[in-house]
Amino acid sequence: MIRIEHSVGIIGIGNPDRGDDGIGLRVVADLAARLPQRCKVMACSGDVLSLVNEWRHWDAVVCVDAAEPDGRPGRIRRFDLAVTRLPVLRSSVSSHAVGLSEAIALAKALHCLPPRVIVYAVEGSQFGLGAGLSPKVERAIARVAARVDEDIRLLASGSSDHHNEFLHESLQR
Amino acid sequence: MATRTLRVDAIARVEGEGALDLDIRDGRVASARLRIFEPPRFFEAILRGRGHEEAPDIAARICGICPIAYQMSAVHAIEQAFGARVEGPLRQLRRLIYCGEWIESHALHIVLLHAPDFLGFEDGIRMARDHGDRVRAGLALKKAGNEIMRVLGGREIHPVNVRPGGFHRVPTRAELEPLATQLVEARAHAVDLLRWVATFPFPEFERDYEFVGLRHPDEYPFNEGRLVSNRGIDIDIADFDREFEERQVEYSTALQAVTRRGGAYLVGPLARYALNFDRLPASIQDLSRDCGLGPVCRNPFRSIIVRSIEAVYACEEALRIIQDYEPPELAAVPLTPRAGTGYGCTEAPRGICWHRYEFEADGTIRAARIVPPTSQNQASIEADMAAIATSLLDRPDEILRERCEQGIRNHDPCISCATHFLTLNVHRK
Repeated sequence: MIRIEHSVGIIGIGNPDRGDDGIGLRVVADLAARLPQRCKVMACSGDVLSLVNEWRHWDAVVCVDAAEPDGRPGRIRRFDLAVTRLPVLRSSVSSHAVGLSEAIALAKALHCLPPRVIVYAVEGSQFGLGAGLSPKVERAIARVAARVDEDIRLLASGSSDHHNEFLHESLQR
Repeated sequence: MATRTLRVDAIARVEGEGALDLDIRDGRVASARLRIFEPPRFFEAILRGRGHEEAPDIAARICGICPIAYQMSAVHAIEQAFGARVEGPLRQLRRLIYCGEWIESHALHIVLLHAPDFLGFEDGIRMARDHGDRVRAGLALKKAGNEIMRVLGGREIHPVNVRPGGFHRVPTRAELEPLATQLVEARAHAVDLLRWVATFPFPEFERDYEFVGLRHPDEYPFNEGRLVSNRGIDIDIADFDREFEERQVEYSTALQAVTRRGGAYLVGPLARYALNFDRLPASIQDLSRDCGLGPVCRNPFRSIIVRSIEAVYACEEALRIIQDYEPPELAAVPLTPRAGTGYGCTEAPRGICWHRYEFEADGTIRAARIVPPTSQNQASIEADMAAIATSLLDRPDEILRERCEQGIRNHDPCISCATHFLTLNVHRK
């Protein structure tokens, strides 16, 4: 039995109507029914800046987002911000559309960032209007959800190993 | 001949891709060019041949931060062409969703894009370390705007609930009530930000702008009014071409709009405020005076104060609309398409957004023309740059560059919106 010590927010980020951008929402939907106490899933389909003031309510946060195509659709990357910085996941010249890495940097500057933040980035291949997930990204859901589930239970109990992983090899099986 | 050429190749903290070229020859500014090189986007051509029902959602895609402006100008044009009027609660809901857009757009610009200029920070994130309370207030204010968009528009970004004649679905009173609680807090944040920005060190700099904006008999304008200026323009929005013309310049993919009589003009918060100060509630006028603003502000650096005043107004107006709201019987007025031409002009956060559509008898769009606020402000921004550079000719290039970038950000330009048209010349031998 896990002893619940910490609250954990699990945030799925993306637009469900834009192909692989919906991966984060699908993962948190998958997790919603099997969460420990003091853990909550949230969906963010709009402005990630709106999360900045929310993050301070949690002891730990896990974010699941889509990453831009880089030739390996479905590749899962895990960033533990206790030991690494989040790269800019999306190149953009826009000042009005703020990405997750900028929102995290802002939250950190504002001391709103919980002590533990883990980000999962799943590489997408197509982001078409009204498209569903591409097959490789669809297949990544269960694996990401299982890993996030492990993280949640460790974070909620107050412990977790710090490690970053590339999980794409196992996904290719 | 002494020549200095300053180039700012990618202007930071504005939306879209633009650059500035400044040429100084023999101790005077020879030219200031706002070079917009974002690729053309062909929205007017995309709209051609589409059904009128599609216009608001297609036009909204021109901008991620002011989609409501494009939706509203489109639906007003459609309704005018088809002889319909949208009144009562539906009209109020349109003002409410516009309040949401102003709040989110102004909050972002005030706190994260513009304030760092006055306090010596490279960006909003670095500023947040020393001014955390203000940035948190700005984010909370922005969130209140987002919430209006989500509840009334269906989602925060690119809302999908606006249609010609009204909305696809209207909210219940119970759905709007939680917004009121949030807006009371948001108003307090907006006042706090207003008092903060009013203390910034502003350069002594004024320009004698021709201000252009909407003016309504009773309201601070969002959706309707006559098109007026402080130099005598007072026309129906359908007569836009009588007073204004768009011209192409070789160095920009955005058309530049100028008045037929005199040249550059300015749209946006400074213009709206100067033309409509008497339409603001007395409480807001008092706040303006407390912050050292008279009824007209010609210093573009102080536009951050005016934007903050408009943010307070938008919170108050949204609260008033929610308190008075009684849901309409129909979510949209029925429309009967007919052949004709319609015009829409509404006040985007950055200034008037003017649309003209021609329709076939079945409502298909035959032609569309869209004049966004930033293309109207380009000539004024260039004149600002020339004036700023003239006042700093003896200063090092780095200071000049910084002040010019700041001068561009004064007008919160949305270059992505302005990008417009490119003539393609094909030479074959």
